[in-house]
Amino acid sequence: MSWMGRSLGILCALVLAGVTVLLLPVVRAEPPAVQAGEPDPSTPEGDPGAAEYWRYCAIDGYLADCCGGTHTTCPPGTEMSTVTWLGTCTNPADGKDYVISYNDCCGKPPGGRCFVRRTEGERPAYVTHKNNDINWCMGTSSIAYNSTVAVVVGVAASEQSDVSDPGTGEE
Amino acid sequence: MFHRVGCFSFFLRSGGVPAPAMRHHLRIRWSLIALVLLGIAGARTGRADLEIEQTGQVASLPQPPSPHWAWVGDPVQRRSVLVDLENGRMLGNLAGGEGLAIALFPRSRRELYMPRTHYSRGDHGERVDALIFFDSTLLTPVGEVILPPKRAILAFTSGGSALSDDDRFAAVFNLTPATSISIVDLEARTFVEEVSTPGCSLVYPAGDRRFAMLCGNGALLLVTLDEAGRVVERTRSAPFFDPVKDPVTEKAARWGETWLFASFEGYLYSVDLSGAEPRFSEPWSLLSEADREASWRIGGTRHLAVHQATGRLYSLVHQGGPDTHKDAGSELWVYDLATRTRLQRIELENPGLTFMGLPIEFGKDWIWPFNRLAGWLLASVPIPIDEVQVTQDAAPLLVTAGTASGGLGIYDALNGEFLRHIYTGNMANLGLQLPSGWAGAAQGGNR
Repeated sequence: MSWMGRSLGILCALVLAGVTVLLLPVVRAEPPAVQAGEPDPSTPEGDPGAAEYWRYCAIDGYLADCCGGTHTTCPPGTEMSTVTWLGTCTNPADGKDYVISYNDCCGKPPGGRCFVRRTEGERPAYVTHKNNDINWCMGTSSIAYNSTVAVVVGVAASEQSDVSDPGTGEE
Repeated sequence: MFHRVGCFSFFLRSGGVPAPAMRHHLRIRWSLIALVLLGIAGARTGRADLEIEQTGQVASLPQPPSPHWAWVGDPVQRRSVLVDLENGRMLGNLAGGEGLAIALFPRSRRELYMPRTHYSRGDHGERVDALIFFDSTLLTPVGEVILPPKRAILAFTSGGSALSDDDRFAAVFNLTPATSISIVDLEARTFVEEVSTPGCSLVYPAGDRRFAMLCGNGALLLVTLDEAGRVVERTRSAPFFDPVKDPVTEKAARWGETWLFASFEGYLYSVDLSGAEPRFSEPWSLLSEADREASWRIGGTRHLAVHQATGRLYSLVHQGGPDTHKDAGSELWVYDLATRTRLQRIELENPGLTFMGLPIEFGKDWIWPFNRLAGWLLASVPIPIDEVQVTQDAAPLLVTAGTASGGLGIYDALNGEFLRHIYTGNMANLGLQLPSGWAGAAQGGNR
């Protein structure tokens, strides 16, 4: 084989090796896709696994996202509470305030990961629907607390209308 | 025949063959030597043999309880331990169930009560809520009253349940999220009834036949019972604070017949329950303008405590922005309730470093300067302080705790001097109770 032929052979082998490597099933890091209306997930305010995630402004508990679920789904085998406390959090993606429902995931031992306690707009336990120190596993088959999700349930109206008076019930 | 040999020769007065009289003396001396040797042997035998002991012995708590004993809850191990704040000895513990292990301490009976919630299969199955009765000396369960399975499970220690001031009845707060209280006759050990309390939550002692609750509109609800424990009156006051603009926290402290509530913005509201009608005093500020400019705020899981005899209020404070009402404290501010003046600022030490309940302490016996360096290193670990309580004796102790530690910080409550760390064996401390009026100890204080 001539000098030229040997060089061409080496070149072909290198190209073939490069193509082969590109075709191998390797994991390629890609930034998480930006959900419509949500902040950039590569920022803390847009990362459901971070304490700074915008929906968690009044959460108190283990993030379901870190415990087998997501920020809107409970971990396997748990049961999502139907009764919740509410927060009003500002979405940095659109600047609007949203009503967030913090549903507890119930019926399993504590998730134990990503404990987050934020108290923006949180109120004492006599304003029950705004308190995050209550175990909200109510209406479920077990009150055992596992973790918490943060679900958007509406666009917030003004603060005055949101703070209803639960203390004027019948006597 | 006797021969003078070796080391025994010094006992002999002279050498040679002994005369009969001498032989007699020698016999006496050898008898003395034998006695001494037997004595030594006997003494050795006495040290080796211990007295035979009985198995199956179980300790009981000495009575009356010391005012320097503390019950400390652990949400991880679901228990509350009793520790002596003087020497750190663990004296016993009580198991909890779902939620925090918070007990009730009657003054008149040697009993303890704890509301508990359990499932028949651990995390599922049949739910049972009960008020468990314990012997306060033996710490053994001696009775129970089954409650409606509605008990509120709270992550803080105030207002979940209460004793009437004469220890006759207990009230347990329910949340489903409809609100109510369950009444238990503690003498008869029977469930009396569930009292609906729409819009009002938590429960605080307010007399022999009365309980107080906080309502969502800033009012106070008084629930009055008859001699059988049945509700005869529910009276709602006018709102005494604004729950929207400046709500009070649930972590109230009692001073005699008066309940003290601190608001998010640092105002102290007083509710005098000595009469038939509650009397509300004009709130006063715990913070000066300079304090507010420096962003000092009240906050914590149990941030108020009162020493009854001296009328001193202890308030846990931190520097932070709005809505930091549950942030841990960095200082403890001391007030005279009678004159409404601040007496002292106490910079808090951390409550001690622990891992899995074990204290992390090192370097005390190292040579200088490494011992000082180790001490500085341990003291500089920023462990949040969530709770403060004070004993009610004449030499009161301040106790601080935080959920990130199984340690307690102990201070002289009169001069603020840090005294020592006490380690509870808890993985996390949440639920600090100093039951001063408990079964014969010094009277007064929060229960």
